[in-house]
Amino acid sequence: MTPNAASASSGPSRRSFLASTAVATAAVAGGMPLLAACGGSDSGSKDGTTSGKSAKKLLPAYVASNVVTPDIPSKNGSAIGFTSKLDLADLKTSVSKKLGKGSSIKIMSPFWGTPPKGDNPYYKAMNDLIGVDITWQNQDGITYDEKLGAVLASSDVPDVVVIPSWNMGGKIPSAIISKFADLGPYLSGDAVKKYPNLAAIPSEAWQYSIFGGKLRGLPQPAPSVVGIVPFYRKDVFDKEGYELPKSPDEFLALAKEITRPKAKVWACDDMKWTAFNIFGVLSGSEKPLGWNQVDGKLVYRVETEEFLEALEWTRKLYAAGVVHPDAKAVNQGTAGDRFTSGQVLMYNQNISDWWGKMAEQAAQNRDFRISGMDIFGADGGDPTLWAGSPAGIFAFVNKKASKAVIEDVLAAANVTAAPYGTKEYMLTNYGVEGTHYTVKDGVPTKNDKGNQEVINAYVMLASPAPTIAHPDFPDIAKEQVEWQQRMGAFTKKSAFWGMQITEPARYTNLSNDFEQLEDDVVRGRKKISDMQQAVSDWKRQGGDKLRDWYQKLLDDNGSAQ
Amino acid sequence: MSNSTVPRSRAEAETSETASRAADAPGGRPGKKKPSGKLSLRLRLRRDRTLILMTLPAVALVLVFNYIPILGNVVAFQEYDPYVSDNGFIAMLESPWVGFEQFQRVFADSAFWDAVQNTLVLFFLQLVLFFPVPILLALLINSVIRPRIRAVSQAILYLPHFFSWVLVITVFQQIFGGAGIIAQTLRQRGYEGFDLMTDPGIFKFLVTAEGVWKDAGWGIIVFLAALASVSPDLYEAAAMDGAGRWRRMWHVTLPALRPVIALLLVLRVGDALTVGFEQILLQRDAVGPGAAEVLDTYVWWNGVRNQDFSYAAAAGLIKGLVSVALVLAANKVAHFMGEQGVYKK
Amino acid sequence: MTAVIDKAAIEEAAREPRWWEAPPRPVWEEEPSKAGVAGKGIVLAGACLAVLFPLWIVIVTSLSSKKTITEAGGLVMIPKDITFIAYQELLSGGQVTRAAIVSVGVTLAGTLFSMAVSVLAAYGLSRSGSLGHRWFLMTLLATMFFGAGLIPTYLLVQSLGLTDTYLALILPSAVSVFNILVLRAFFMGISPELIDSARIDGAGDWRILWQIVLPLSRAVVAVITLFYAVGYWSAWFNASIYLSDQDMMPLQNVMIQLVQKQEAPVGVSQAIKTGQISGLAIQMAVMVMALLPVAVISPFVQKHFKKGMLTGAVKG
Repeated sequence: MTPNAASASSGPSRRSFLASTAVATAAVAGGMPLLAACGGSDSGSKDGTTSGKSAKKLLPAYVASNVVTPDIPSKNGSAIGFTSKLDLADLKTSVSKKLGKGSSIKIMSPFWGTPPKGDNPYYKAMNDLIGVDITWQNQDGITYDEKLGAVLASSDVPDVVVIPSWNMGGKIPSAIISKFADLGPYLSGDAVKKYPNLAAIPSEAWQYSIFGGKLRGLPQPAPSVVGIVPFYRKDVFDKEGYELPKSPDEFLALAKEITRPKAKVWACDDMKWTAFNIFGVLSGSEKPLGWNQVDGKLVYRVETEEFLEALEWTRKLYAAGVVHPDAKAVNQGTAGDRFTSGQVLMYNQNISDWWGKMAEQAAQNRDFRISGMDIFGADGGDPTLWAGSPAGIFAFVNKKASKAVIEDVLAAANVTAAPYGTKEYMLTNYGVEGTHYTVKDGVPTKNDKGNQEVINAYVMLASPAPTIAHPDFPDIAKEQVEWQQRMGAFTKKSAFWGMQITEPARYTNLSNDFEQLEDDVVRGRKKISDMQQAVSDWKRQGGDKLRDWYQKLLDDNGSAQ
Repeated sequence: MSNSTVPRSRAEAETSETASRAADAPGGRPGKKKPSGKLSLRLRLRRDRTLILMTLPAVALVLVFNYIPILGNVVAFQEYDPYVSDNGFIAMLESPWVGFEQFQRVFADSAFWDAVQNTLVLFFLQLVLFFPVPILLALLINSVIRPRIRAVSQAILYLPHFFSWVLVITVFQQIFGGAGIIAQTLRQRGYEGFDLMTDPGIFKFLVTAEGVWKDAGWGIIVFLAALASVSPDLYEAAAMDGAGRWRRMWHVTLPALRPVIALLLVLRVGDALTVGFEQILLQRDAVGPGAAEVLDTYVWWNGVRNQDFSYAAAAGLIKGLVSVALVLAANKVAHFMGEQGVYKK
Repeated sequence: MTAVIDKAAIEEAAREPRWWEAPPRPVWEEEPSKAGVAGKGIVLAGACLAVLFPLWIVIVTSLSSKKTITEAGGLVMIPKDITFIAYQELLSGGQVTRAAIVSVGVTLAGTLFSMAVSVLAAYGLSRSGSLGHRWFLMTLLATMFFGAGLIPTYLLVQSLGLTDTYLALILPSAVSVFNILVLRAFFMGISPELIDSARIDGAGDWRILWQIVLPLSRAVVAVITLFYAVGYWSAWFNASIYLSDQDMMPLQNVMIQLVQKQEAPVGVSQAIKTGQISGLAIQMAVMVMALLPVAVISPFVQKHFKKGMLTGAVKG
């Protein structure tokens, strides 16, 4: 109808949707449901997983790093924490010898922001330190799904490709298996000791990097504790004298008390993900995590009573009118902005917002204080939480790469995986001192050049064990780690935790519609009974067969723990 | 349509031209009566060689950049995995053939038929409430004789076309949403607020309204071009014959617009199954797929997003075939109404 | 009426009308009714306001500080503290200048190429009954309804060696069948007598196209040129798929990336502090910048829309 409808721009405009949704999704759900669908492949040999025993043989030997001692050691699966000031003179060296042999390496990686010129001082310094010549093909993070799908289908795959788990939908797992190299010969067992920083990456992250029976990925480890935190405005809560809720009913009562639409204040944003945690619903972030054994039988998350209870409680929040209308409309602005502006006093988001919002608001609103509340159980007691995946982003090396290139990639990863408190960490994450950042009162701050050049790129290659360090807000770092440790105590691992599982192709789309239905139910457009109907349809259309498939997997391999 | 005071319509002029040229298009149906004096192929080739030469660059580009990739749609009859071999083209040869299984999957899905229904309802709404708006606006602007006002209002009306859908929807949310300006103002005066943005019942009207806001102004541009080609002499002649303002619009202005309107209408009907993608995908979750799923978003959710290439290709082929049928039918109707449409019989 | 010659009145009648005044009406045209004029004015003003109000919000937000935007919880309607920080952020770093040059180049080259191909094809197809006419038309038309998947298209462009060249931004989208059909419809509206008489005078098709058809079709050629130019200018998807080298990216891509800088998914350690700049302000500034070329080009196109300028186009 519009004259321009068929002109040159029609293709692009159809896709620019991704500009908003893909990233929003990844951000809102912590890289969770939508794009993280676990894919399948055609050939029977590719689906499944690698058994616990044979996986052990592939794993690199774990050698804890003792270069730097954290202020707060990891406990219950938490990150390690650093609360002390940064002292440049005190930085340690974790890579004593330049391992790179000068190979030219092309790396394709998603990028959020404007990539810097290829010959900038940061890239040069990193390449010098590693001893390689890395060229970055920084691709738009928003269209990465499409670009990745196309590039992997061509015979011209770059030397290294970085793939976040939210880009591993559909047939990408099959592409990973057929296009990327087995790093086992270079890393398995004691071989990894050549790269001490890679040897210090937790074994569970390495195990999760096994695709199609071979160790193919270089992981960015993630803490297995629940990642979504129910945040609240501590400053407002203290001022108004609101008490932190200790049960679902208290939460609802408090929410009603807070909500004053006339003053443009609503109690909360969409709390569905917190509801799942409160009621102990199996994880929805990746499909295999949604299965667990109950009384000797495998059940999927949507079949559980807890799942329906969580939806019913969230529905009550919406029905009571305590959820911000923009949250009801989805894709509208961000929960974080509504939170900082005081339109909502509670929202749930990835734990990184704890520091992120603090740092963002520090210069504008001195009173602003964000804090995370402990997740309570459905009955007001302790919650049951389910562990998330031990790694989120992987780098893969092209199958056709030479031995020299693979070794140089590992040399690079060994530098980028250096722990906090080392020279290599500072260079990777902050750039060159003086050029990209300055240190004042023990707090490193990036300048404009640093903000332009030292983003994404090298940090995408491989990273150290999960670390929380905020020299500018040490108390926030402490709160974050302590929250993780408290919640970690309640965190359990489901049957398939830590295994990289590829479901058979015919089941790939089977469970995709539940997320949409969840949103319909909580917003009152569909009934709980519709969900029950959908679950029984799901069983009939393949859910029960999928259960058998998983059962066989479990019988053959045992669980990863 | 009687036109006593006006020139013959273009269609009529067209007919006489064709008749005088005494030639028929090739590929005409065999049963059709050919005019006598049909030229031999060689003569026609010699006569029309320049025209053919002029057409070739566009046809060549389309053959290379459209048709070759379109051949990739054979995966609709496969269970295609582009990654089974070194190259996606070779993978096409190696993927297993499954006949019409993908098509059966599409037809067996009740969500597909729901999406078709939503698409058609939305199409008719857009046809009735959106399509005429640019024409009326163009007539309105054309009737303004102060040049500055014309220029300025035209320039303003073009602008929303250049807003992204994300922004358009954000603006609508901030005005008509549950925490929008109108709702908040009402609340402050002690009334109940409302939320137009999450109401499945009015969603299709909302989408149409957003479309009008964004693209109606831009849509006038083709019609203005058509109006620019009307000679003032015609108006004068009509006025001399005693035609008033409305009769002049009916007998001079509209005939000038008719071929363009007919062309756009035929193409729009052919594209009936395309009612907006980004706009609807962005708002789908606000009202749920029950009200908002259309064909294109359905294909995106069930095929493209999951890299189920074969399924997406099958759905695309179905859509393409229906579209071709629709455009042929619409073109027939246009001919029946005495218009040229997209192509001649 | 008196016969006294009023010099001032003559001068008054002879001068160019000021912009708020209506130019003289043709003698045959009746005076419009008051209600009609008022009605038209209200509709037009209403339509313009419906555009200007959101535009105002966009501009004000792009000029607001992060603090103001935070307080408003989103878009800002009432300006508080005006700051150009979002525009500075956009224009700093030198990327934008280079990308703008790329965009202008691609738009110019692409539009020229597309127009040449389209005008020729539209004229080539404008005589119904010419040899192959129907065939060619069908070949073109079918591409409007059958699309290809991204992977086959990418593989084609790649095997032609076009990836990482600017040709990849032009050739795959060079032909818009819609635009050809519109051009053709206008060409076919030109009085056949004009063309026939030129042919009798011995003019070939090239000359007819150049000397008769094109001059009579200035309005539609301007419109289609605009369509193509806007298409090339605002395209970004092809660049993000076919180009890998950041230094080749056109303006739209760089703009989109600037907006995203604030929106990296969690789990990606960006470690940048965005400080005083609001992502929303940048987004709105990008929007405003996108409107600028329109504002610049608009008058040039409208010039061709003067009423009745193309006398003879419709047979009288």
